[in-house]
Amino acid sequence: MRGRSTGNVISTTNGDAIPFSSNGVRLSIRQWLVVGVTMVALLIFLPRLWPQVEKFEPQADYRVPSDLSDDYWLYERYCKWACSRDKILVIGDSAIRGFYVPAGATLSHYFNELAGGDEFANLAVDGLHPVALFGLLSHYGRDISNKRIILHLNPLWMSSGKFDLQTDKEFQFHHPKLVPQFVPKIACYKESISGRIGTVVERYVDFFSWTSHLQKVYFQSMDLTAWTLEHPYRNPLSAITLEVPTAEHYNPAEHVSWMEKSMTKEDFDWVDLSESFQWRFFRRTVDMLRARGNKVFVLVGPFNEHILTVAGAETYSKMKSQIESWLQQKTVPYYIAPPLPSELYRDASHPLSKGYEMLAGQLFESGVFRTFLGEPATANRFAEDSLSQSR
Amino acid sequence: MLFHTWSFVTFFVVVYPLYLLLKRTRLRLLWILAVSYFFYACFNPFYPILIFYSTVVDYLTAAKMDVSTRKKAWLALSIVNNLALLGFFKYGVFVTDNINFILSHVGVGYTVAEPGILLPVGLSFYIFQSMGYMIDVYRGRVARESSFVTHAAFVAFFPRLVAGPIERAANMLPQLRAEPVISRQDISDGLSLFVVGLFKKVALADYFALYVDKVYAAPGQFQSPALILAAFLFAWQIYFDFSGYTDMARGIARLMGVRLMLNFNNPYLATGLGEFWSRWHISLSSWFKDYVYIPLGGNRKGTFNTYRNMFLTMVISGLWHGAAWTYVLWGAVHAIGRVLTRELERSSFYRENVPRLLKQILVFVFVGFAWIFFRADSIADAWLIISRIFSSGFANPYCPILALAFVFFAWLYQFAYESRFRGLVELAQVRVGIVGLMVLYLAVFAHPGGQAFIYLQF
Repeated sequence: MRGRSTGNVISTTNGDAIPFSSNGVRLSIRQWLVVGVTMVALLIFLPRLWPQVEKFEPQADYRVPSDLSDDYWLYERYCKWACSRDKILVIGDSAIRGFYVPAGATLSHYFNELAGGDEFANLAVDGLHPVALFGLLSHYGRDISNKRIILHLNPLWMSSGKFDLQTDKEFQFHHPKLVPQFVPKIACYKESISGRIGTVVERYVDFFSWTSHLQKVYFQSMDLTAWTLEHPYRNPLSAITLEVPTAEHYNPAEHVSWMEKSMTKEDFDWVDLSESFQWRFFRRTVDMLRARGNKVFVLVGPFNEHILTVAGAETYSKMKSQIESWLQQKTVPYYIAPPLPSELYRDASHPLSKGYEMLAGQLFESGVFRTFLGEPATANRFAEDSLSQSR
Repeated sequence: MLFHTWSFVTFFVVVYPLYLLLKRTRLRLLWILAVSYFFYACFNPFYPILIFYSTVVDYLTAAKMDVSTRKKAWLALSIVNNLALLGFFKYGVFVTDNINFILSHVGVGYTVAEPGILLPVGLSFYIFQSMGYMIDVYRGRVARESSFVTHAAFVAFFPRLVAGPIERAANMLPQLRAEPVISRQDISDGLSLFVVGLFKKVALADYFALYVDKVYAAPGQFQSPALILAAFLFAWQIYFDFSGYTDMARGIARLMGVRLMLNFNNPYLATGLGEFWSRWHISLSSWFKDYVYIPLGGNRKGTFNTYRNMFLTMVISGLWHGAAWTYVLWGAVHAIGRVLTRELERSSFYRENVPRLLKQILVFVFVGFAWIFFRADSIADAWLIISRIFSSGFANPYCPILALAFVFFAWLYQFAYESRFRGLVELAQVRVGIVGLMVLYLAVFAHPGGQAFIYLQF
């Protein structure tokens, strides 16, 4: 049936007239082209021009605020900033970011202190398990090439089938948008097909991760509509202050040891490393970063071995050996941190300030680490080291 | 698979190019049928069995009707079959609930087991479309469709499958039979309809739902201003939700060279309840008019019978919307309103002396009031809301100004469109500007969360 357009009514060959619509929003192909070209231009240029108007000047000891952990557009911007200044990137989860300590007491802070400059950038993100780490660096860390990277492996992610994302039952894990959306299948991840496609689109179309950034930074991680429900009489545009928040939520009351928090020994149900999903992705991350020409140094732990039962400690020890064996086989420089004193842990994997300071000192005393940094020993206090010491 | 989700985008990106390739071949309708069944199966893999059954029965009974002298019997068989499907799947729980309620009140210690089934999405829409076709064939208004594939594609055509419009065979079958010619204007019209529908659904309806849902979830905790604003916003939410769906459905169909009927025509500009129903869910209203109201006698048998027919039609229409007493009451409220205002609307004083704007406001207020019964979770909630609107004190409603601003501009646009300022809103710059702003808003602020359409539940 051939239709003929006459004004706002479509005539059909059987003589009936079907109104086009009840509004005048009807464009021609040319007008659609105008809209389309304009939108594509905005889609491309808005996220690129945005850094010109939005202030983001990380100071020393900057770290991505906890509230913005899933603002991957900001992370990408921070990566670009750090890479353009040739920083040594310290990447890991909250154990490296310093969840329970202020910005001036993190591992990267003590690295900088020992190095006597501002060479290390804290690119750790809260809740960044290895599967998410791979997704983050694949899609939002594309600028990281030919850099020196200290990559942290937190064994906690292999401490149970649930942490290893190998359970069938759905649960809320960190950074679902960074995990593989279709292959390999993650049984506990029950997002709809549509949600998964949307996540994939967001990874490849910068514009959508930028709009997500706007929500997270200016609208308290809500979309505009939900935000207006919370602030019914505010002008949404006034919320866009063009300043990325750097506020920290450091709570001194939480800066206490695990024993003071009355935590008891735990019998972790460690997964078999050969079948661990998280470990598989950690290895893929190392391979990917090295393939990009990066120098990767792996830091394992320091896990709070004091919290383990005897049986759990034995399994953990075996797992460490397996990790070490793979790192050696791949000739990846590494440091398996010996346990810190018990009182320097907040929980199973987070050191307290003194713990970070001690760990930084240990690393700077490690010859492997200094070789990795490509620097001569800077002070006599750094003794010669060997791989065996780090074991 | 809802139109405003990435799943549908992916689906259509695969379906459409193949459709264009096949549109001049005999495989075109087979392709439409296959993808329509796939589309339906995405909601539930068992749904296609039901639509296939309904289609086969109607196809065979129509064939029998064509050659038999007992046409009425075959029509009756088809209607009974369709109503049985509706009754079982849609009203089974409602009927058993009410039987159990009565049994418990008369002291009978027996309960009828609930069917334990879910209402298949879109059932009411395709059953009604199919019934309309059967009645038209019986009346000789349309020729029976001899091709099973064409008949099945007519019933299952995916753009309109789950929430209408409830198409007439006379409009749609000729379009399906003929080879479609898809012009550039069809493409641009399809895009225009789709974008407007998407904006109505994602930017407006889903937005208003946030406030409405909050208030209706616990009406006892809100005071008069919030309850009034929730009722006001729900009137617009349901309009944008349903007309948004229809716009998208019509847009997709237009891209495929099929023109679906107009289903909404700025209903809140109506100056009377009769006019409202000729602008709201037009495909259903006209279906009830043609297949229920007129067969009941329409307005041909005196005033009393006219009002009785109106009343029955409205109550049945209410029941069509959902198996709950709130919908029946909503239909009854409209029926009473229609009966009470019919004479008023016919008086020359009312027609000529009462300002048009005042009539429009009165109609909107009445319709908005009736929506309270439609939206409330129970009749008790509806009465609670109404009583609190009139009895509770003032408290800050905390209703987003932005939502009210959207309504204001939408209403203003509709007024302008139906006034002497229509030329202004039809200026090319205005049209392009509006579309540009809608697309930009959708891209930046609206994130399709795939919130279901209200009418999918019917």
